[in-house]
Amino acid sequence: MTVRIWGETERLNEVTQLIRTLDATLSAELETSDIYAINQNKNGIVSDLTIELINKALYYSAETDGAFDPTIYPLVCQWRSAADTPPTPNLEPIGYQNISISGDEITLKSESALDFGGIGKGFAAQKSVELLKESEVEAAILSLGGNVQTLGAKPDGSKWAIGIADPSAPNEHIAVVEFEGSMALVTSGSYQRYYEIGGEKYHHILNPKTGYPAENELASVTILTQNGTMADAFSTALFVMGLEKASEFWRSRNDFDAVFILKDGSIMATDGAALLLKECEFTVIER
Amino acid sequence: MKTKTWILIFATLALICSILNLLLFYGGEENNTALVYSDGTLVERIDLTQDADYRIDFGKEWNILSVKNGKISVSSASCATQDCVRHGQSNHGAPIVCLPNRLVIEFEDTQLDAFLK
Repeated sequence: MTVRIWGETERLNEVTQLIRTLDATLSAELETSDIYAINQNKNGIVSDLTIELINKALYYSAETDGAFDPTIYPLVCQWRSAADTPPTPNLEPIGYQNISISGDEITLKSESALDFGGIGKGFAAQKSVELLKESEVEAAILSLGGNVQTLGAKPDGSKWAIGIADPSAPNEHIAVVEFEGSMALVTSGSYQRYYEIGGEKYHHILNPKTGYPAENELASVTILTQNGTMADAFSTALFVMGLEKASEFWRSRNDFDAVFILKDGSIMATDGAALLLKECEFTVIER
Repeated sequence: MKTKTWILIFATLALICSILNLLLFYGGEENNTALVYSDGTLVERIDLTQDADYRIDFGKEWNILSVKNGKISVSSASCATQDCVRHGQSNHGAPIVCLPNRLVIEFEDTQLDAFLK
């Protein structure tokens, strides 16, 4: 996690504290977290921030027709615990419709369990930026691994320049996004994390409808938009959809842009993203 | 072999060496400064042209950073994962990260403000 603030730098501690609090509240692994308790008991009272995140997760699940789904945790556990052979996914507990909210009370149906790995960092970045907007901060940039969010114009007058990792050499960038002002950028890629089962590697982005790692022509998807939570949820969802469905999904909306890196190393960018891409060759996806 | 031929061979070799020198030391996207963040705070600006070792403490945890031949690495660390040590030497591109010890080493890249890894 890297946070840089220009102007009211004393806000730095508040932001890092907020991100840590969210991490501790929303982790499915920490025994003291809201989410751990809900996953164990299938019912419980949670904090306002957790309710806010669950509501957003449900919204983006519905918008993406379940390509993003926060009830994926049972699948994650199956894949993580598999030793010699890939699991036969049990899809019964999967489905965002299994979550119900009443005030500050969450209830999960049957064996459902929550995992906000596909949206939590984006939500943390978005809440941080909202906190900074209330202050006199001149500009800020937050970098949480595959999540970057900027606030305001870069003080030296130049454009923000954000590198997109090359899936075949993740320590190098394959393209640069240059822009002025505030933006959220999130990358989901099959190269980022793996399950190692029987000597084979299986990437970590699971398709909620099949239970298997999403397999298509994509190596990574980067979302460019104004909202960090949306960017995070959509980067996972569009990776799961594959290029064709993801392009259709983009055409059906006007609130984000995307950069697709294909397994063959080629780059495709929606028309808005194409205006910002530097240091690479790419094909434009038209509306 | 005539003297003129020898002069031509040496001149060609000198030209090739000069070009190689330029490519090796001035090409690519290498950087001369590493920025070390501990728990989100910039704690060191390290000159990568000077070979040296640095110790960064975070509570009871620690990382030893080594600069050699223009590159920096985490040569040893108290963390359990050792991902930072395995990152190896670098002077550009993705930051070296030690999540357990909240350490990030970034490179002062005039082109990039952040990196989507």
